[in-house]
Amino acid sequence: MKPTWMLRVFAAIGYAVLMAPAALVLVLSFSAGEYLTFPPPGFSTRWYVALASNGVLMSALGTSAILASVVAAVALLAGGPAAYAIARLEFPGRGVLAALLAAPLLLPTLVLGLALLLVLQPLGLAATWPGLVLGHCLVAIPFAVRIMTTAFAAVPKELEAAAWTLGATPLRAALRITLPNAAPGAIAAGVLTFLVSFDETVISLFLVGPRLSTLPVEMFRYADQSADPLIAALAMSLIAFAFLMVLIVERLMGFSNAMGRN
Amino acid sequence: MTLAATDTAPHLRLDGLVRHYAGAPAPAVDRVSLGLPRGALLALLGPSGCGKTTTLRMIAGLETPDAGRILVGGRDVTALPPHKRHMGVVFQSYALFPHMTAAGNVAFGLEMQGMPRAERARRAEAALELVGLAALAARKPRQLSGGQQQRVALARALAIEPDLLLLDEPLSALDAKLREGVRDEIRALQQRLGTTTVFVTHDQVEALAMADLVAVMNAGRVEQLAAPEEIFERPATRFVATFVGRAARIRGVLEPGGVLRAEGGAALRAAGAALVGQVEAFLRPHRVRLLGAGEAAPAGIENLLEGTLARRVYTGEVVSLEAQTAAGPVTAEVHASAEGAWREMQPGAPLRLAFRANDLLVFPAQGAAA
Repeated sequence: MKPTWMLRVFAAIGYAVLMAPAALVLVLSFSAGEYLTFPPPGFSTRWYVALASNGVLMSALGTSAILASVVAAVALLAGGPAAYAIARLEFPGRGVLAALLAAPLLLPTLVLGLALLLVLQPLGLAATWPGLVLGHCLVAIPFAVRIMTTAFAAVPKELEAAAWTLGATPLRAALRITLPNAAPGAIAAGVLTFLVSFDETVISLFLVGPRLSTLPVEMFRYADQSADPLIAALAMSLIAFAFLMVLIVERLMGFSNAMGRN
Repeated sequence: MTLAATDTAPHLRLDGLVRHYAGAPAPAVDRVSLGLPRGALLALLGPSGCGKTTTLRMIAGLETPDAGRILVGGRDVTALPPHKRHMGVVFQSYALFPHMTAAGNVAFGLEMQGMPRAERARRAEAALELVGLAALAARKPRQLSGGQQQRVALARALAIEPDLLLLDEPLSALDAKLREGVRDEIRALQQRLGTTTVFVTHDQVEALAMADLVAVMNAGRVEQLAAPEEIFERPATRFVATFVGRAARIRGVLEPGGVLRAEGGAALRAAGAALVGQVEAFLRPHRVRLLGAGEAAPAGIENLLEGTLARRVYTGEVVSLEAQTAAGPVTAEVHASAEGAWREMQPGAPLRLAFRANDLLVFPAQGAAA
């Protein structure tokens, strides 16, 4: 069915509402003024320059980037085998396992963050790398499992059976045949778990400390204390980065496929 | 049940194989036993759902039998996982590894055996040479046609020099013209290499043309295991008679002394006196001779039927003449190049059909006690 003009208009309005904040931020990030005012008094790239020389934010950016990379790697290594088991193996409790792995997504992150703090504080893991990695993995692993289950399930079982008959043990067949054919899904899972960790704010708020803080937390604090367009320049940089990542996923396997919606 | 070739020690032996899927009313494979001599080609022939593919998958180790044993070269492999069975399998979907080249696919099994890189490259090339695809060794499967993919799959299965070659409907994905050529190639290759082979098909022509032995399967059971000629000319059961080849069905009562009284009134000479009572007889069209007007039945041909032409079906090489007779509808087959009065015959025209008593394949009527 061809969309009617009514549907087109509604879609256009919907997109406009969704994109308006980003457009506003884009304009503000090139402001020449001292404050977040609209319309800006003039245009310049001074806030992008200022962003690059802000030590606190740049250090937080570094932390977030390293954290997100580690989280993505851990999520793939832990979620990959779990996804393979869910997609390929018959075992009692498979449905329960799949449901359990998705459970953290159902919990409000506020509750999750508080619970993590209560557990990690006595262990001396609050405001440490292991604590942050653990907290982020809780929300990242369900994404990785979901995407990679779809990716593994899309590889014909017959390929693995063929590998067995050619003398490959089940493990070798999984690693040499199924995994390479699920690689786009693994890359998509890596990119998306990276973004999940990179954007994670609420859990981080509970788990960061004075010497170890992530970018979303520092952005939150900066915006709380200052009202200059630097935060817009940062937001714009992050949007551009996230867009690039999603584009990579889209090119590799289609975003909606990666999310397992089809 | 017929057990062919048990005198020479069989290379492959299936002994009472059973596979019953949970929740299914009947077993998919039901007490299948057979033996296959070394170097022979066995066709598992039957309609879809008859258990032939399940049987093949059990031989390969991809399916676990609920009962029974599988012996290869006298060794019980029933409990072995597929990667320890050393069997080359060509899947219906070919199951080529999409991320590897044709050569990579063929070399994979050799790599799993731990063969050094240089040697397995040479062996893979030789295997591709065998199927005439050496020039396309560097192509990925998606860059190959269906027929080429099929050959790569065959080369991959043969490269490991398997104890047993298993083919699951390997021709079904090819178009009709290609199928016959590939069929003969596979058979020639199999005979040249002497690889003991099991071949699953629902196509009786394929089975008859390729196999040394045909096992006709129905509802999980082997109905008959025999050489192609025997399957076709002397079907052991009613199912085999109707599934393999075409036949007219004549219902009636077989009387002592070998007279078959057809429901339509005709009295025919038939063999198989042991089956006295309600019977169904099957008559293959190529066994029925069309007699010219006034022509006497040749000596030794016991049965003569008169009837009228109901329909004429031209299929190129042969013409089928369907006649209404006192024994019911009977079809005679005439070579399309044969001269005769049939060329001018219109529906409704009288004709005379002759066949021998032995041409009637007699079975107990369905529903009657066997």
